[in-house]
Parts: sequence; C-alpha cells; structure tokens
Amino acid sequence: MTKKWNVEVKVNGRVKRAEVEPRLLLVHLLRDEFNLTGTHIGCDTSQCGACTVMMDGKAVKSCTVLAVQADGAEIQTVEGLGTVDQLHPIQAGFWEKHGLQCGFCTPGIMMAVNGLLQDNLNPSEAEIRDALDGVICRCTGYQFIVKAVQQAAETIRNSQQQSQVVPAEGGSV
Amino acid sequence: MTKVVGKPLKRKEDPKLITGNGQFTDDIKLTGMLYMAVKRSQHAHARIKRISVDAALKLPGVVAVYTGKDVQDKIKPIRSIWLVPGCDLIAKDRVPLAVDKVNYTGEAVAVVIAESRYLASDALDLIDVVYEELPAVVHQEAAIEGSAPVIYNDVPGNVAFTWKAGEVPEEVFANAEVVVKQRFYEQRVAANPMETRGAVAQYNPGSGELTLWCTSQNPHIHRLQYSEALGISETKLRIIAPDVGGGFGAKIAVYTEEALAAFAAMDLKQPVKWIEDRQEHFLATSHARDQVITTELAGTKDGKILAIRTRNVASLGAYLSTMGAGVPTIDFGLMVTGAYTIPYAQAETIGVYTNTTPTDAYRGAGKPEASYQIERIVSLFAEKIGMDPVEVRRKNLVQKGSFPYTNPMGCNYDSGDYQKVLEQALEAAGYAGLRKEQEEARKNGRLLGIGISTYVELCGLGPSAVAGAIGFGGGLYENCTVRVHPSGKVTVLTGASPHGQGEGTTFAQVVAEKFGIPIEDVELFHGDTHMISMGWGTYGSRTTPVAGGALAIAADRVIEKAIKIAAHELEVSPEELKFEDGAFMVKGDPDKKRTFKEIAWSANNAWNLPAGVEPALEGQCFFDPPDFVYPFGAHICVVEVDPDTGVVDLKKYVSVDDVGRILNPLIVEGQVHGGLAQGIGQALWEQTVYSEKGQLLSGTFMDYAMPKAKFFPMIESSFVESPSPVNPLGAKGVGETGTTAAPSAVVNAVMDALKPYGVVDLEMPLTPEKVWKAIQKGRAVK
Amino acid sequence: MRIEYSYTFDLPKDTVWRYIQDDRVLRSSLPGCQTFEEMPSGIYAAELGLNTGPVKGLFSAEVQQVDQIPPTYYRLLVKGKGKPGEIDAVADMILEEAEEAEGGTKITCVAEIEVTGVLASVGQRVMVGVAKVILGQFFKAAEKEMQNEI
Ligand code: FES
Ligand code: FES
Repeated sequence: MTKKWNVEVKVNGRVKRAEVEPRLLLVHLLRDEFNLTGTHIGCDTSQCGACTVMMDGKAVKSCTVLAVQADGAEIQTVEGLGTVDQLHPIQAGFWEKHGLQCGFCTPGIMMAVNGLLQDNLNPSEAEIRDALDGVICRCTGYQFIVKAVQQAAETIRNSQQQSQVVPAEGGSV
Repeated sequence: MTKVVGKPLKRKEDPKLITGNGQFTDDIKLTGMLYMAVKRSQHAHARIKRISVDAALKLPGVVAVYTGKDVQDKIKPIRSIWLVPGCDLIAKDRVPLAVDKVNYTGEAVAVVIAESRYLASDALDLIDVVYEELPAVVHQEAAIEGSAPVIYNDVPGNVAFTWKAGEVPEEVFANAEVVVKQRFYEQRVAANPMETRGAVAQYNPGSGELTLWCTSQNPHIHRLQYSEALGISETKLRIIAPDVGGGFGAKIAVYTEEALAAFAAMDLKQPVKWIEDRQEHFLATSHARDQVITTELAGTKDGKILAIRTRNVASLGAYLSTMGAGVPTIDFGLMVTGAYTIPYAQAETIGVYTNTTPTDAYRGAGKPEASYQIERIVSLFAEKIGMDPVEVRRKNLVQKGSFPYTNPMGCNYDSGDYQKVLEQALEAAGYAGLRKEQEEARKNGRLLGIGISTYVELCGLGPSAVAGAIGFGGGLYENCTVRVHPSGKVTVLTGASPHGQGEGTTFAQVVAEKFGIPIEDVELFHGDTHMISMGWGTYGSRTTPVAGGALAIAADRVIEKAIKIAAHELEVSPEELKFEDGAFMVKGDPDKKRTFKEIAWSANNAWNLPAGVEPALEGQCFFDPPDFVYPFGAHICVVEVDPDTGVVDLKKYVSVDDVGRILNPLIVEGQVHGGLAQGIGQALWEQTVYSEKGQLLSGTFMDYAMPKAKFFPMIESSFVESPSPVNPLGAKGVGETGTTAAPSAVVNAVMDALKPYGVVDLEMPLTPEKVWKAIQKGRAVK
Repeated sequence: MRIEYSYTFDLPKDTVWRYIQDDRVLRSSLPGCQTFEEMPSGIYAAELGLNTGPVKGLFSAEVQQVDQIPPTYYRLLVKGKGKPGEIDAVADMILEEAEEAEGGTKITCVAEIEVTGVLASVGQRVMVGVAKVILGQFFKAAEKEMQNEI
C-alpha cells in the first residue's frame, strides 16, 4: 500500500483536509473527497478545461495538478463563485447570454474566464476567443460564450467604477 | 394573454448548472459504491487465446473480474433496434464482452470491479490477454473487395446489406445534356459530447429492483434493450438519465458497458459506477458518417436537374449499432434530392462491416451526408454549365405554392418559402458585392471563395406507422403529461429526454402562455422510466415538434377540463366561457370569473365537480405526428485561402433557417451556432483516423481536432418562420440544421476559392496540408 | 509509421559492425535493458524499462538480427509488448563510412514501426520523436561500450 499524505487546502474559503495517495489528482480530491462535483472532467490529456479551478488566484486545470501539490493552496471552484441568489457577474453573463447548453463544460469555462478577466477587464472579441483556447465546448459554438464574457466584463467594469465613485457601497466582485 | 412564446427568455435550467449544482452521472455517489474499469482489445482483429485474471484478482481492493466467458450466459447481446427491411440485412449484435474474437480496437474483453477508480484501472494492467492477430480491414471499399479478410463467416464479402430506393430510367442519364459525377467521402467523425458515457447501477436484492443512472438520450429505449439483455422485467428496471452533458447522437445507442455495470451490481449486491474516460470514449462510443458516396446528376444545359443517382458504401464498424443500419439508408437515401424539384432519384447503399468502432447517429444522422452530396453536386453542375450556383438553385428549388411537395422517394416536405429564405440569405451576405470583391481579389492573387448550401432535412421523427414500415423497433410518438398541482403550479412530464436543448424553458413557455401563469410556475421533468409513460427520447430534432405536440394537446386537455369545472362553479355552460390571461370569464360579463389557480384548487379538492368530471387536473397526450417535418435553410460561407500555407480562414458565415415556429429565439440561435460549429468542424478539422491495421490514431483531443473558439467568426443567423402543419406548435426542429448545412457550404466556398487552380473536389476535412497540396498540384498544371 | 535516423560513430566501420550486434554491447546499451538473453531459436529475449513520453513501463521484447551483409547491412526485427501497447518494428540498418568524420562510421536506421493500444491512440503523434530519442540513447551508449571494449 502506498503511503498516504495529508493535505490541507482552503476550498471556497473553508479549510479542508484529506489523506490521499500521492498520485491523486486535484480534480478527484475536489469531486470525490470534498463532494464538490461542480468541477467536471472532460478528458484525460488536459485539453478540455472542464476541470478548471482557481488555485492561489490563478486558473489551473485541476486534472493536471496532484492533490499533494495543492497542499496549503487556496482553491476556488464554481461552487465558490456565486450563489443562485448572488450570482457572480460571470455566471450572470452566461445565464443572460445563453452561454451554456448542456452545462457540462460551463463551470470550467467560467473559471477560465475568471482568470482572463482578472488580467484583462476589457478584452476584445479576439482576446476572448484566444483566452478560450484552453477549453472545449461542444454545444454552443462559442458565440454566446463570447457574448457572455463581454457582458460579464462590462458588469465588472461598471461595478468597479461605481465602487470608485461611492466607495462605501463596495463591489461584491 | 401573457405572451411568452417567441420571447428570448433566459433558461430555467441554467441556475443550477452555472452554480455547479447540476447532477451528472459521475456526480452520483452511493454508499458502498464500487468502480468498474474495462479492459479493451489492443488489436483490431484477433483471436483471444487466453485471458489471465489471477494477478488482477490478487490486487488488494479488487472485488471481481469478469471476462466474456463469465457473462456470456448472463447478459444477452445488445440488439440493434433498426432492422431496415428489404435489404437482406445481416445484423451482428454487440456482445457484452468478447469471448473468442475481438473485432475492433477497443472492444471490451474484461471488466474489473474494485473499491476505487484508481485501483480498478491499476488492475487492468494485471490482466494478461494473449491474442492471435488476424488481418484487419478498416476501409469499407477495401472490405468489399474479394481479397479482403472476412470478419464474419456468415457475412460474405463483409456486406451487411444492400439497400435500394427509387429508380431512374436508364435513358434519363443516357439522353441527358449534362451529366456530372463525383465521388465524395463523408469522413468518419466522433460526436464527442463533453461528458463521456457513464453509468451508476444500484440493485436492491430484496425487491429485485435495479436502478441504472446512465448518460442516455432515450431512457425508455435503454430500458427496452437492457431489460431484454439482462432479463429483468421493465417493472423492476428503472433507467434514469440525470443531467446529461451533451449527446449529439452518441448517447442514443445502447452499449454494453452500462449493462455490465448493472450486471456487476446485481452479482455483487453493491452499487457499481463506471465512467468512461476520453480515450475510451474515442474507442468505444459510436463513431459516425464514414460513407463513400458517388453521386451522378443528370441535367440540362440551362440548369434544370433531371435526376440524381447515388451509391453509398457505408462503414458500419464491427457490429450493427442501435440505429446503425437506418442512418445510411432511410435517413440518407430518402433525402438525396435535397430541396429541389427533381423528377427522378435512385439511391443505393451498401452497408459494410469493418474492423472499426461501430457507427451510429451523429447530429443529423444521414441527412448531413445526403445534403452534402446534393449540395456539392449541384454546385459542380453549376460550374460545369457555367452558371452561378445561386441561379441553379433558384431554378430548381421547390416552389412556394407547391407544398406539401412529395419528393421522388415519397417524403412530403411540409411547408416553406424556399426562395424567400434564399433571397434573405443573399441579401444578408451581400452576395452581389461578394462576387465583385472576389473578382478583385482574384486579380491580386487572393483566393476568396463563396459557398452556398440550400439544404432541407427530414426530422421530427416521426409517425409510428412509418417507423414500423422502415423497420424501426419501436414507435416514434411522444408523450407529455401536464400535471396541475392544487396551488396552480404545473409539472410537465415528458418521454423526451433533453440534455442541453432547453425544453425546460421552451415547454414552460408554452404552458405558461396557454394557462396564463408565470413561467416560474412550470417545471419540466424527464429522464426517469419509473415516473414517465412510454416515450422515445431526444434525437432527430423530434423533441419540439413531437413532444411539443404532445405538450400542446395535453395542455389543451387541461383547459378543456378546467373550463367544465369553472362553468359549473359559475353556473353557466362551458360555451359561455372564454379563457384569457389565466382566467375563465363569462363572455360579456368579465367580472364573473374564476382564475386558473382557483380551478386548480377546486379540481384537486373535488368538493364540487360537475357530473361526470373526475377529480384532479391533469392532461396527458401521446402525440403521434401525421408526418415528418422539414426545416429548410440557405447558408452562405465566405472563406479566404492562404495560397502559401493552405490555411482556410472563415471570413463570414450567414445562415437563414426556416425551422417553423420559434418558441425561444435565443435557444434556437444557440442550437444553430452549436450545429454550425460541428458542421464546420467536419468540413475543416475533424476526422477519426485509423492505421491500416485498425489502430485508432485519433484517440485524444490532441489528435482529434475539436473546434475551438478562435476558429470562428461571429455567425450571422436569422430566421424565416413557416409553421409546420403537422404538429400543433408548428415547429420543425432546429438541432441538426447546422451539421446538415455547413459542410457543403464550407467546402463549396473553399472549392470556389481554389477555382483558379482547377481544383474540383477535396475530401473533408480540408486541412491546410490537403489544401496546400492541391494548390501545388494546380500550380504545376498551370 | 516510418522513421529514419542516423548516428555517426567515431569508430571504424569494422569495429562498429563487430560490436553493434554483440549481445554484451546490446545488453549494456539498450535503454533500460534489464535482461537480454539469447534463446535457442537465436532470437534474443529482452526486458526493457522505458520511460520516454508515452512509451512508459516494462516492455518485454523479442529481438532478431537477420539478413546480414557484413559489414554494411543487417535487418533488425523487434516485437515488444508492454502495458501501453505493442510495438512491431522492422529496421534496416545501414553502415557506411562517414563523410564528415574521417575514420568514422555512419549508421542509418530506416524502420517501419507498428504500434497498438495507447501507443497508437495517444502515442503515435509523438512516436517518431520518441523512437529517435530512444535510438539516440542506444547508439550513444553503444559507442561508449565499443570504446570500452577496444
Ligand atoms: S479534464 Fe482537465 S483539461 Fe480536460
Ligand atoms: S454547454 Fe455543453 S459542452 Fe459546453
């Protein structure tokens, strides 16, 4: 029996621990151990991006990260993005613009978009399409995903502007 | 009346999906659950000499290993359900696990059940299978050569069937002014939904009930097949399709792994989960297309088409999949004349077994192939007689006044105004301007191409009597139950099984509008054979036309009953009432009324019902449509080819589709985009490739080119609505338009671009290498 | 798939010929070679622990050297089997005096390789590169061995 390792990660703001085999993938840690099944698996060669999560503030494909590598890290999954009552602007954008059909790729794509918008809040269409190169959606043909991202970026920009004008209100983003 | 039908409403199904609360098969976790992994053949064609499983069984955590011998008496082969008649079909059914011989790379030979997925997959490596390799045959044209290896002794020449429809008198071709003939290859592709297949099986040894969650587009068909294969009564077998991450046809087919998981759960009396990984998916989930189509067109010099004759050599793969025989015959053959008034047509299809993964439906199933060959040959015809491809189409399209139009194969195109759609597309694309631009570009050595496709497709499957006549092993009606709860909220149940198409929203729109209630009050439930009456699932663009038809009628039945109750309460005759904006009002005295909510309450309480009216408020309909529906569209694609690299740049794509009445334009447009991405994907990038020995070479997303966001321009789509007369909603179905239209639009555009180099045809996908080589060849000739 | 790979030994042709088919040299220079034994049939049975890209794990192989035309040509037949799949290779090995290096020998390997399983579905795209890496390792190690031998 392989030696098990203790890992401790902060997932969506909560500290979680598990005893894992060194080969366990982060995506399986999240899904199977922590029951965070919003993060999906669409391939085994790190092409599809269905498994994308934020790790220490960066979008990563959780199928290419070992659980032990994530020890001590801060992880955000789709479950930590926003709730039905308080959707994150990216979620709201995907809903508003019909950026999903079957919804299987969606959590990963939204997290990848989260990564993009952190770096660039005013992406052009081409920049958005480029940023989506690491993800695959088989349903939508991407057009409404592009629109969803544009809408999300605009919402975030506006809320940042507002929060600059009236700092008391604070952006919820 | 609150108008919600036709509005671009946000989808009701989205909140759970965007917050990570969807429940897909792999998200299901049961106490004591075991995991199954599948040992697959490394050879395309080989005899199994020996399988040693001892080492695997010794691995701690491994609970069981089953081989073909262990299960051959316990699980029956999975039958194909579409036994096309009149073509001497020899059906080879999938066996649960190969026993003596494997017939394609990836065929299952054993399964391991273990305590975790990692352990199960470790154990696969400890199973030793000794094979004796046999010569394999991969391509269908090679397979029917006399010298080819024979896969089944009782299938001479590997020919599973020879199917024929229609006839063109010989003199039509003999006397024709113009004959164009071309061989087209519809390459093998994979549907590749982002969620692979999977199953979770749970058995209750006390009740004998087996629950199987699986990635299905048609849970009732899965129940039909698995209850037979596993010998379980339908009353004890519950198939649940939870959230399903796309299907595109690949999840219609009934496979063996799900049955194996179910068998193991029964045998071990513990829940068993199997989730296919992507590499397995490429090997084990049905592929599609793979048809070599030779088309001949007879026409006149002034552009009239007189006849179409096709010969299709279709690869079925190593076994006859669920709908494997129907796709290249009925689905293809009946539509070979496309959207044109062509007096004569003849189609012949030879179904061939090869040592490859079985083929089955993929978005469009047969119609994309039919559309491809006719749209390509019509453009080649135009080229030959020196006429603009648009002009030839104008001349031959079915005319506005002639609907229903019966094509030479007997299909009744339901409704439309094809000319209007075409003109709208030309206008939207700025066709005349494009041709000028092209002329200029050519002068400067730039390769600009304009491609057009005026496709029509048969969908909305379909009348059950026709299903029976064409050998489909089931009906094709659909059911809907509209259940009104005491509060006035409504649950809709349907036998269709949407998995991304958005009926949770569109059906709610229909009901909300009919009942005058908020759309929030309506929920759609589907995908559970224990809860839902017999139905046939979601494929063939049938959900809105057929299930939607059932929905409309079921809702009307509710209203009919509610009117009786309201009239009784208001002490008037039902005829004196009108139902508007959610209220039953006495005509001429609108203050005397009952709301829909009130009647929901009183009907469900049944304190005071009129004589002969039963309690509760529920309507059900099994809608069997009188005929199919025929969406039509005109798509225009503009490409520029880089002569130095062969790269095709998609500059513009315009689609105008007549998909009948539109319930939600946002969802319909999304369907068009998705279909187009797949259709364009087939034209330019996607292909499933085998080595000569039958090894799958495109077994990952690194090797199989899935379309990416940056490959596409913004699609410009618009619609024309000619309601279909064959269903109450007037819908025609939209899901398959993109895959049907795009391949020919794109290839026509690229061929048009390559015209200066004398290129007539290239096989899809039009990869830079292929295009570049064609340009080099053209240059050399010049 | 077909690969072509050349390597130049800083050794005369006769020496290379003498040692390139020698089982001791092969044993110590085949990458990851754990066993290498001649069977009564004249075929060598080898076990190689490989770890290059998708070609990973223990492979059991049968190696045969035939059709020798000393000192310029022989044919190498390799049938290997491992967890990720099977390999079937037929290689023509051509020895010639190196043009660029005086007294050196250029060996050219022209091989037709068939693979199955994951090696085919995943590996084939990178297989040519992998094969070249493995051949490179082999020739380099063999040259070292030969130098030790002389
Ligand atoms: S599952 Fe991680 S990239 Fe596909
Ligand atoms: S919405 Fe289905 S794969 Fe993207």
